[in-house]
Amino acid sequence: MKKFVHIMTATALLAGTAASAHAADGRDYISIVGSSTVSPFATVVAEQFGKSSKFKTPKIEITGTGGGMKLFCAGDGVDTPDIANASRQISKSEVATCAQNGVSQIVEIKIGYDGIVLANSKKAEHLQLGRKDLFLALAKEVPSPAGGDQLVANPYKTWHDVNPKLPAEKIEVLGPSPVSGTRDAFVELIMDHGCSAFPSIKALQSTDEKKFKAVCQSLREDGAYVEVVENYNLIVQKLEANPKSLGIFGFSYLDQNADKIQASTIEGVQPEFKSIADGTYPVSRPLFIYVKKDHVGKIPGIAEFLAELTSDRAWGEQGYLADKGLIPMPRDEQKAMAANAKALNVYLNK
Amino acid sequence: MSLPLLVTLILLLSSLTYWLGCRRAFMLARQSLSGKLHSRPYYYGVLAGLWCGLPSLAVVVVWHLAAEPLLIRMAMDGVAAAKGISSPDQANLLVNDLRNLVAGTMMAHKVDPLIQAAADQYLGMRRISDLALATVALSTALAGACLLLKRIRPTLRARNQVERVIKVVLTLCSTLAVFITIGIVLSVLLESIRFFQQVSPTDFLFGFKWSPQMAIRADQTGSSGSFGAIPVLVGTFLISGIAMVIAVPLGLMSAIYLSEYAGARFRAAVKPLLEILAGVPTVVYGFFAALVVAPAIKDLGAMVGLPVASESALAAGLVMGIMIIPFVSSLSDDVINAVPQSLRDGSYGLGATKSETIKLVILPAALPGIVGSILLAVSRAIGETMIVVMAAGMAANLTFNPFKAATTVTVQIVTLLVGDQEFDSPKTLAAFALGLLLFIVTLALNVIALYVVRKYREEYE
Amino acid sequence: MNEEKSGQMNELGDMGAMAWVNAGLTARYRRERRFKFFGLAAIAASLMFLVLLLGAIAIKGYTAFRQTQILLDIHFAPAVFDVHNLASANYAALVRDATLSLFPQAMDRQDRRAAIKLVSIGAAYQLQEMVTRKPELIGATKPIWVLAAGEVDMFVKGHISRDVTENERRISDKQATWIDQLAASGRLRQTFNATFFQAGDSRESELAGIRGAVMGSFFTLAVTLAFSFPIGVAAAVYLEEFAPKNRWADLIEVNINNLAAVPSIVFGLLGLAVFLNCMNLPRSASLVGGLVLTLMTLPTIIIASRASLRSVPSSIREAALGIGASQMQTVVHHVLPLSMPGMMTGAIIGMARALGETAPLLMIGMVAFIVDVPRGFSDPATVLPVQIYLWANNPERAFVERTAAAIMVLLLLLLAINASAVLLRNKFERRW
Repeated sequence: MKKFVHIMTATALLAGTAASAHAADGRDYISIVGSSTVSPFATVVAEQFGKSSKFKTPKIEITGTGGGMKLFCAGDGVDTPDIANASRQISKSEVATCAQNGVSQIVEIKIGYDGIVLANSKKAEHLQLGRKDLFLALAKEVPSPAGGDQLVANPYKTWHDVNPKLPAEKIEVLGPSPVSGTRDAFVELIMDHGCSAFPSIKALQSTDEKKFKAVCQSLREDGAYVEVVENYNLIVQKLEANPKSLGIFGFSYLDQNADKIQASTIEGVQPEFKSIADGTYPVSRPLFIYVKKDHVGKIPGIAEFLAELTSDRAWGEQGYLADKGLIPMPRDEQKAMAANAKALNVYLNK
Repeated sequence: MSLPLLVTLILLLSSLTYWLGCRRAFMLARQSLSGKLHSRPYYYGVLAGLWCGLPSLAVVVVWHLAAEPLLIRMAMDGVAAAKGISSPDQANLLVNDLRNLVAGTMMAHKVDPLIQAAADQYLGMRRISDLALATVALSTALAGACLLLKRIRPTLRARNQVERVIKVVLTLCSTLAVFITIGIVLSVLLESIRFFQQVSPTDFLFGFKWSPQMAIRADQTGSSGSFGAIPVLVGTFLISGIAMVIAVPLGLMSAIYLSEYAGARFRAAVKPLLEILAGVPTVVYGFFAALVVAPAIKDLGAMVGLPVASESALAAGLVMGIMIIPFVSSLSDDVINAVPQSLRDGSYGLGATKSETIKLVILPAALPGIVGSILLAVSRAIGETMIVVMAAGMAANLTFNPFKAATTVTVQIVTLLVGDQEFDSPKTLAAFALGLLLFIVTLALNVIALYVVRKYREEYE
Repeated sequence: MNEEKSGQMNELGDMGAMAWVNAGLTARYRRERRFKFFGLAAIAASLMFLVLLLGAIAIKGYTAFRQTQILLDIHFAPAVFDVHNLASANYAALVRDATLSLFPQAMDRQDRRAAIKLVSIGAAYQLQEMVTRKPELIGATKPIWVLAAGEVDMFVKGHISRDVTENERRISDKQATWIDQLAASGRLRQTFNATFFQAGDSRESELAGIRGAVMGSFFTLAVTLAFSFPIGVAAAVYLEEFAPKNRWADLIEVNINNLAAVPSIVFGLLGLAVFLNCMNLPRSASLVGGLVLTLMTLPTIIIASRASLRSVPSSIREAALGIGASQMQTVVHHVLPLSMPGMMTGAIIGMARALGETAPLLMIGMVAFIVDVPRGFSDPATVLPVQIYLWANNPERAFVERTAAAIMVLLLLLLAINASAVLLRNKFERRW
């Protein structure tokens, strides 16, 4: 019972701190949410912005594009984020949700490209892949090897079966799961092209688009395509431990680990900074940020943050974003985007 | 007066009242030599303290919750009308302006005179409100204290009243668990219903194929996914099962050794060391499982001619088993240690060896606690994500073969929730449905466990 | 087994009980030794895993506590400074000039860029801080140790190999020779990495620190402990000592056991709905994180506390009640102190889990890049395991060792928490 006083004092301390938490402060920093692919770049900008300006460093949450959009579109106001990072373009239904919740003024800024590479360990043979090879190796159903238009469950076991020029190694590709934007881009940029090489499937595109997509975009589930978590450092280390497998990941990880892994060429093009930037390397996707126009001027620093992001020292060819592995857009596009960001032109979804 | 100061003051006041109450009770005890006090003197003090503190703290809490929004509304009314703003969201942003202004944090743009006026008005009103609150709260405290201090006399049943207050608090705490459950069910139920509007429940519950390969944006036409939960559930139980095969023997034997054989110093050193295993971040275990254990298993398998996938349920289960060893060892150790020494002495007296005593007397006596610790360990295994996602992959194979890749409900929930797909797509909603399903399945298992424990429990005293 | 024995006893009855016992003794002692050995082996195995894990982390992480620095002769040219606004000066230019003066052979644009990249961008902030603190530096020329860039650090520590070809590493051949030059002229040194303990998160490995995450973890766990332990114990006491034993009690028991198996991210969903949407608490705040982790650890603490309450022999209760204590007095004075060690264990394990948890924090916005060190319960904050998770995902190689170092810090914190709880536990522990 003598502890009563102690308990009271402890509660007093606790109540004091808890109460101070409830104080009616406004938000004086920018809140950013969204994709884990964009955040490595957004964070660099945020840090530079925080250190070189009088504003606080923005807070960047990693929620995934979908989760970020959900928060972003929940409405205007301090409780909601000001900027959403997206590894894909905002969808129609998301724009509709936004509008429904009073977020009608959205500014879209494309910040650059992310190259998607296939790579394996340096201990293994360097592969030269075509998109058709990849389709045959990874699709769930492929045209029967015996000939004819009939689709059969993918029978190929080794790369050699797919294309006689490739080594007789077992097909094993470590790649992202279906909820990932990287997977989506991979499927659209490689598998869709690869399957169009078959006239019988290409014909489907005009007659039965749904079927066409189903054929092209379904990846096999018999162990040749291994779904792994999007921790690319882990994938790099797994490739090292297991030289026979290939991995799918973002260009910046290849850039950092060039002593351990090598990228396969796609259609004869080696993924390099330059070849991705000028578009000769075919597999890259745009990254976006979306800004709430209504918040500009209300939450301190948004306009200045956009200015930092669109400055040459950030996203220019020699800028610090390129240093971190972001592939810059062509000059003209960059200029147009920067102007867009400055004027806060509202994005309209067709 | 600032809120922390006020609260501190009230608490100090109630401590003072406690002291006064005690003194008065002691005095009474000395005075009334014939009629003894009903309770021990400290209870009168505590009762006095409670009467002083509780009502006035309640006043503070209610006031604080109610006043802030009211003041903001009053201050903003004029601004909103003048600016012709109707939507609550825009008003919300203006309120942020006001708050930034009040808090003195940096403003992005020039201060709007309207808002400035509102801020001044707000500050003025808040000062009045704070003052009023302080007066009301402190007078409530004093009134409560006086009222009770006056009532202190030998016939006051102070202990019973204090105990009643404590019991109410205890009851409230125990019902919290029920509220958490209700909250959890509600927070997944709504989205689950939306999921079941798009995917039929029978497909979900009895489907043998889990493959959410569908477009991540609604405006893409794409293949549709299949959402059969059975492979995911099977994977969950496979991996948790492997983990338990590791953790239960190792954990239980460690516990027995620590509590029955080890010396005090050894036990004091080893027990906390083992507990570190539970606290190593799961990312670390994940890397360990994926980069050390999985390749080792694969090589071993290749040596004996077994086909082992590079991502295997076994690797994840093994490492997870290591992680949950302390759940079994520490908790079981405590329970075994709590078995009365008289039972051991009795058994030794009959000539049993130590191990016989342990197996035939102590373990049955400690069974409920041990089962509790094992249940806790299973629960942790079921809820684990990172190890599985890194070492066992995400492919949902319907298999009982520990050498193949497998996935668990938790992994699917986490990956679905943080994916890039639209949040309202069946893919994301499936996470909620999986959560609900897991909840129901574990509930059923727990009910079974409860009955099993009831049946085999040995009560000695 | 018992029946078998008694059967044997009858058979051997004429030999006498002692003889029969003696006959079985060797086997029984052997079994005894085997059992004891199994126990020791189990502990040894568990400890071996621990050593293996900790060893792997320590080997990877110990280099992070050293940081490479470069000695630059900085000339604080008065022309660069505006006396009234010291912050606006171009400190990066000062660093750049000083760096280039070390490498007169770097002539063309590309070489100059390569040379500048040897020094961390943090050097400019370092100078800014120095000048703000000591404005009289302006005009002077001073040798100053500044941070080397993360890649230089990796190269010096040998994590970037010299043996591979130039385009396979992030340090060019030219840069490598410059680094060797610096080392030869004594302008390169490795010192204790204080930044790691003083700074918040950063995307530049050499500027990244764990202070923000440690403070976030501290605030979060303080909230969790303050709520979950008292509430958990109170709930356990009520359920075990006061609640009527009926179906309702069974329901609550099953229900609590079941809560322990709910995936932690679901608690995050609940926290999002209750604390953020209903109670309007600030997003990303450690207060909310602590509350969510409270929800998550409560079942663990309740289950452990109930188990230890149950193991208090009823004779103790009966004795107390027998000499006239009320039920509440019995519990508070006798049962609770005796069951404290078990409750402590529950709290330790619960806290250990809370300290290492990331998934539930995702939903309430604490899986985030936050540079500023939180100063209170309502500041946006992140926690150590989140920091570790984020660093483990960073592509830059220098983050590998920092990730391991952060894990070491987390484990040390865990040990500290455990140690204090263990001391308390030992104080209470007794055997009847």
